[in-house]
Amino acid sequence: MSKYIEKFNNLRTIIKANGGLKGSFLQLYRTDELKIGDFVGEDKYGNKYYQNKYYFVGRSRWVQYVDKVNMDYDGSQIPAEWHRWLHYTTDDPPTKVPPVEREWIEPHTENMSGTPQEYVPYSTTKPKIESWIPPRKS
Amino acid sequence: MAARAVLQNLLSIHPLISNLTRCQTTAFTVSIRQLFTQKNKEDFSKTVSLIPYREENTAANVVKRKPYSPFQNTNTKVEYALARVDDLLNWARKGSLWPLTFGLACCAVEMMHFAAPRYDMDRFGVVFRASPRQADVIIVAGTLTNKMAPALRKIYDQMPDPKWVISMGSCANGGGYYHYSYSVVRGCDRVIPVDIYVPGCPPTAEALLYGVLQLQKKIKRMDIVQKWYRK
Repeated sequence: MSKYIEKFNNLRTIIKANGGLKGSFLQLYRTDELKIGDFVGEDKYGNKYYQNKYYFVGRSRWVQYVDKVNMDYDGSQIPAEWHRWLHYTTDDPPTKVPPVEREWIEPHTENMSGTPQEYVPYSTTKPKIESWIPPRKS
Repeated sequence: MAARAVLQNLLSIHPLISNLTRCQTTAFTVSIRQLFTQKNKEDFSKTVSLIPYREENTAANVVKRKPYSPFQNTNTKVEYALARVDDLLNWARKGSLWPLTFGLACCAVEMMHFAAPRYDMDRFGVVFRASPRQADVIIVAGTLTNKMAPALRKIYDQMPDPKWVISMGSCANGGGYYHYSYSVVRGCDRVIPVDIYVPGCPPTAEALLYGVLQLQKKIKRMDIVQKWYRK
C-alpha cells in the first residue's frame, strides 16, 4: 500500500512543480512529457536546461524551450555549447566550464529552412554535362 | 477626465514629474473620443492607459507567444474561417504521417532504428505502412539504381494525394558514393519531387527524426483551402 502512496505523492509533486493542473496540462500538450528535475542553466535565448539522474541516460537531461516560440520549437534553437552537454558529449554544462572563445566562431542561428533566410546552394564551376538543346527546324 | 485633472495637479506640484511625462502631455490634449476611434492599436494603448507608471512596467513582462497558426494576415471573415480550416487539416495531417518504407540499402537499417524504442517514431504518429495506397509520405532510403527507378515512380504514382517524399542519405539525395556509377540514378529527385533531404551516409536515426519533424513543419504551412478560395 505504501508503494502506491509514494507513487501518488510523486505524481503530486510533479504536478505541483509544473504549475498545478492547468500548468501540467499545458506542459503535456506542448512537450508530451511531465518531468521534474534540477535546473542546470539557461542559454542566451532563454531556453532552460534540466537534469534528473533518476531517469535513464537519454532522458535524464532535457530542455524547456523559451515560451516565446510556443509550439514552433526546434532542435536547432539550442546553441552549440549547450548541445554538447545535452547530448552527453560532456558532463560539464557551459555554466560550469565556459566555452572557448575563438574569433572565427560565428554566432549561432537556428535552422532557417522554409523562411526567406534559408540557405540555397549554388555551383561555382562549369557543369560537366550540358543539356541538349534540340536543333531548330527551318 | 479625472486622470487628466490628477496629472495636471501633479505637474503643477513637481517639475521633475513634468519632465518625465512630457511626451504624454501632448497626447492628453486630444479629445478622449478621438482616442477611442483611433485605428492604430499601439498608440491606443499608450495614450489611453490610465495606469500610473510604476504599474505599467509589469504589463510589459508578459511574454508574447508566437501564435500557433502561420496564417495570421487574414483580411476578411471568410479568409479567417478558411485559414482555421487549413490549420485543422494540417494539424490532422502532420499528426498522423504514415510513411511508406522504401528501404533500398544500409539507410534502411537506420530507418528501422527510427522505428525502434529508442527513437520511437510512434510518439509523433508516424507508423510504417507497407502499402502505397494508404501512405502519406515515402522515405527513399538508399541507393536508387536505374533498375529500381521505374518501380519507385510507379509506387509514388500509386500514393494518394497529398503525398510527400523524404530522401534519406547521400545516395538518394544525389547519388552519393555511386554518383559516377553507370547503373545508379544521380539522386531520387530526378524521378520524383522531394520535400525533405536528409544528409548523411547513412544519416543517424536522429537525423531522420529531425527530417520528419521538418516535414511536419512544412505540412503546417500548407494552404490548400486558402489557395482554392483565392482562385
